[in-house]
Amino acid sequence: METELRQLRDEALAALEKIGSSAELEPFRVKYLGRKGGLIAGLMRQLGQVPREDRPRLGQLANTIKKEVQERFEEKKEALLAAPAAAEAGVDRSLPGRYLPFGRLHPVTQVMEEICAIFEGMGFAVAEGPDVETDHYNFEALNIPRHHPARDMHDTFYVTDSILLRTHTSPMQARIMETQEPPLRYIAPGKVYRCDSDITHTPMFHQVEGFLVDRIVSFADLKGVLTSFIHRMFSDDLAVRFRPSFFPFTEPSAEVDIACVICGGAGCRVCKRTGWLEILGAGLIDPAVLTMVGYDPDRYSGFAFGLGVERIAMLKYGIDDIRLYYENDLRFLSQF
Amino acid sequence: MKFTLSWLSTFVSIDGLDPDQLADRLTMLGLEVEAVEKLYQGLDAILTARVVSVRPHPDADRLTLCDVDTGQETVQVVCGAPNVRAGLVTAIALPGVSLPGGMKIRKARVRGEQSLGMLCSARELGLGDDHSGIIELDPDLAPGRPLTEALGLDDTMIEIDLTPNRPDCASVIGIAREVAGFTGSPLRQPVTEVPVLTGEDVDFKVTIAEPGLCPRYAARRLSNVRVGPSPWWLQRQLLAVGMRPINNIVDVTNFVMLEYGQPLHAFDFTRLEGGEIVVRLPQPDEKRFTTLDGVEREIEPDMLMICDARRPVAVAGVMGGLDSEVTDTTTEILLESACFDPVSIRRTARRLNLPSEASYRFERGVDPELATRAMERAVQLMADVAGAEIRPSGIDEYPGRKEPLRLDLRVGRVNALLGVELDSGRVASYLRSIGFEVADDSQDVLSVTVPSFRIDIEREVDLVEEIARLVGYNEIPVTSPRISMEYPRHDELRTLRRQAAEILTAQGFYEAINYSFTAERHHDLMGLAADDPRRSVTRLLNPLTEDQAVMRTMLLPGLLENIRRNINFQRPDIRLFEIGKIFLQKKEGEQPEERFQVCAVMSGGRYPGARPLYFAGRETDFFDIKGAAECLLEALRIRRGEGGVDFVVDRERAQPYSDPELALQIVARGQEIGRVGRLNTRAAKGFSLKQEVYFFELDLEDLIALPRQAREFKPLPRYPSVRRDIALVVPDQVPAGDLLQATLDQKERFVESVDIFDVYRGKPIADGMKSVALTVTYRSPEQTLDDETVDRIHQKIVNSLMATFGARYREGME
Repeated sequence: METELRQLRDEALAALEKIGSSAELEPFRVKYLGRKGGLIAGLMRQLGQVPREDRPRLGQLANTIKKEVQERFEEKKEALLAAPAAAEAGVDRSLPGRYLPFGRLHPVTQVMEEICAIFEGMGFAVAEGPDVETDHYNFEALNIPRHHPARDMHDTFYVTDSILLRTHTSPMQARIMETQEPPLRYIAPGKVYRCDSDITHTPMFHQVEGFLVDRIVSFADLKGVLTSFIHRMFSDDLAVRFRPSFFPFTEPSAEVDIACVICGGAGCRVCKRTGWLEILGAGLIDPAVLTMVGYDPDRYSGFAFGLGVERIAMLKYGIDDIRLYYENDLRFLSQF
Repeated sequence: MKFTLSWLSTFVSIDGLDPDQLADRLTMLGLEVEAVEKLYQGLDAILTARVVSVRPHPDADRLTLCDVDTGQETVQVVCGAPNVRAGLVTAIALPGVSLPGGMKIRKARVRGEQSLGMLCSARELGLGDDHSGIIELDPDLAPGRPLTEALGLDDTMIEIDLTPNRPDCASVIGIAREVAGFTGSPLRQPVTEVPVLTGEDVDFKVTIAEPGLCPRYAARRLSNVRVGPSPWWLQRQLLAVGMRPINNIVDVTNFVMLEYGQPLHAFDFTRLEGGEIVVRLPQPDEKRFTTLDGVEREIEPDMLMICDARRPVAVAGVMGGLDSEVTDTTTEILLESACFDPVSIRRTARRLNLPSEASYRFERGVDPELATRAMERAVQLMADVAGAEIRPSGIDEYPGRKEPLRLDLRVGRVNALLGVELDSGRVASYLRSIGFEVADDSQDVLSVTVPSFRIDIEREVDLVEEIARLVGYNEIPVTSPRISMEYPRHDELRTLRRQAAEILTAQGFYEAINYSFTAERHHDLMGLAADDPRRSVTRLLNPLTEDQAVMRTMLLPGLLENIRRNINFQRPDIRLFEIGKIFLQKKEGEQPEERFQVCAVMSGGRYPGARPLYFAGRETDFFDIKGAAECLLEALRIRRGEGGVDFVVDRERAQPYSDPELALQIVARGQEIGRVGRLNTRAAKGFSLKQEVYFFELDLEDLIALPRQAREFKPLPRYPSVRRDIALVVPDQVPAGDLLQATLDQKERFVESVDIFDVYRGKPIADGMKSVALTVTYRSPEQTLDDETVDRIHQKIVNSLMATFGARYREGME
């Protein structure tokens, strides 16, 4: 009996060894481990016929063998299940996957959202105003009277003598300050229009204007906010410089340059050999603007800034012709 | 504003600063350098040469054969210039040399005669406009010297993009003053030895009839002038800054204007009737005036004119008149040096469309104190270069004389606004470095006297800016504002727009942005009726082109043009959308109503850019665009049906550009807020589109007013659902959607959802009929439904549908 048991064990383990597919597992289980017709169960049923004194020893042996085969069988089963099934063999996995195509936002929208997100993160609220604006809000309220030479900086599209297409999104400054009291923190993104068209100008483009008014806001604060913005927008170690400029609605006024992102400051065609790229106009809000909305300039001060979205997108993405933005060519739109 | 370094350095030392360093310093002071250009670079290889002998070309009447000494050798050159003669010193470009214009000189045979170089005119060398003959150089110059060296042509031109607030720097001296401010070198003003005005021995008269428009008018007489070309040094500076030399008198007025920023004008005195100048507005009959550029211009009653005893002789501060201009035969001159009101000059120059160097300066503001100083300098130069006889006689009318402006400057205010810590002494010394006077250094409030040339400085804050500029913007610290943490509310419409854009891109649409202005003829192409509100356009007074003349009242035409462009560039499978404003001119003379809309278009293949292996060969159809609109509404959680949005067929409202059989209105509360459709062939033809285009348009301002599906938790069902199908044969014209809606409308118990899963026409269904298969899902929240209950309800629904629609069971489907 003992010999038979040991032979059955060896035979079962040898058979198990030969199994190569999961399909063969079940017949093996039935043949050797089946509770009713299995060979091990069959031998165990014969234990009743062996001498009584041998029974405990052989019974224990039979159990050990059954357990061993059972365990090896489970091991084999797991190993086989982990391996690829025969039916899946030969699938050409080099073929592309299947998915429905998706579109993308226009690069101007993408950059605009990125700009807005940075300022919104600093607590600026977003306000939008009309594209077709009055001369009052676009110019007069910003300290640009009718015959001021600064109007030369704005090639304006007119609708009537007193209605025009806004040349900047700065009119929101006056519109908001007229109706609210400081502290104020706003950005005004939107389309602006100037009658100018060439490789670097389109008659419509996008601007984000921003301003902050409170007690004691300084030029140093302006530098802080804009430097943070530039570092988040481009990179943390990008050199930034502020230089004097002129806008009728700010004083002191500044133009903000970043080290040329194309040549790294060495001087190239894009930065006109200066190593710097102009990306922002800014300044402390002129007291005349504050006075016009009824604020006391000795009590409140603030700063304002404006930046061109297309220009920033051009710098970020290396786009060399601004007109591409408005042709809506899929070969262009799909690049961003 | 352009100037040369050679010119600048006559007023201030720039030793130790190379052109780029100088440019950088100026830029950081607010005088933004636009260009730094090394001059005469193309002339390095041009040599001086002496014409040794001249003889006629044997085979050409107008050509000459010259033997020319180039310093190295004597070569034969064929020349066509009338002024070529033996002994003339001129410039030669030898074979292999390129002229500044790019032309390369080669050995050549001209009508059979060898030519070993080219003798050049001033224009060919970029040294002037003269092309009447070859350039005539100083006869003492030795041949063979590089022209740049022989003429002292080593110079750099710097161009500044001047901001409107700094008219004082529209002059070389103004820039020199700024340079002196940061280098500490003294400013060297030109010294003149002109007799001062005595007001005696005056043979002319000046009357200022409009003192409000002309604060100062100074004039001076010069006699026995010899008008002719200016000397080279004078021509050279004018040419270097892009100004054309005319004659010595006009050149001097321009030269001094560039030096001082004071525009000057020289009249031919003999042409001034009555020897009189009257500064006045035109008489009612003075409607036309011919300026010295030969153009007759219409003058208006509020344009300030300079007149003689009888008629206008110049448009004040803008341009002189043709009749009184200095000509070659002029010998008697009246030199004007005046100051005019900026707004008046600007208005006049604008309306005449006549911007000039003079009006550029006057409209920004000229220091009235300059008038006599600049005039003296000009008189001196005219004596030097035109032999003018200086007469002491002159007049200086100065009704607008002002006391120097004094401003109080609070040092504490400077520090607070700039975020710096400066003491009074430091602030005072900054201001003094650029010509301001400060009374007492030790006070917290400084009393500052503004120099007359800084007409832009009117307020305390203007001085604060000067301090900022002089401290250097980059030296001001970087801090963060101390401001409340309050977080702003979001604009819902903006959020909706962003969501809509994201949903559409997820469906394969690319975002387009088109110009807000468009061509009015689009409305004809779209077939809009004459009274269509979208024809009430906001029109631009000064459009760049007719194609950008009106503000758009719809988004679709722009996208149609985008489709055409993409098809032309071999991208015929298109999904594009735009979210933007349209402009409806409700009332003339007012701002239009601006509304955000979304428009999406589809054309060509159903899945543009998808892998052809899986998605090839399917064309977009109506249900793709309807689905896109439905998906957008659903993703935005806009409620469908009652109180929300419906898609309805309404022939009355079908758009003139839509295929009537494929037009669908999107309505809410009885109002059309959008539409889905296919572009009809007429509109497609108008936009030169040969492939089908599907579109939807949706007004976002209307949409945002609609109720949204609440985000509200409902417990997950605990009991299983039961499905039953119905296949009914109905007349073809019955909309399948009506069957679906009717099923829902019965509001039978346990009906959870209804869907159409098949529509079939053809055998064995009879002609004019179709089979519509619906599937109804039943569920109870309280128990597992038994077949009997479901069958009973289902039968009721089927019976009702059959009664309502004249439907019958599809055979074999019971």
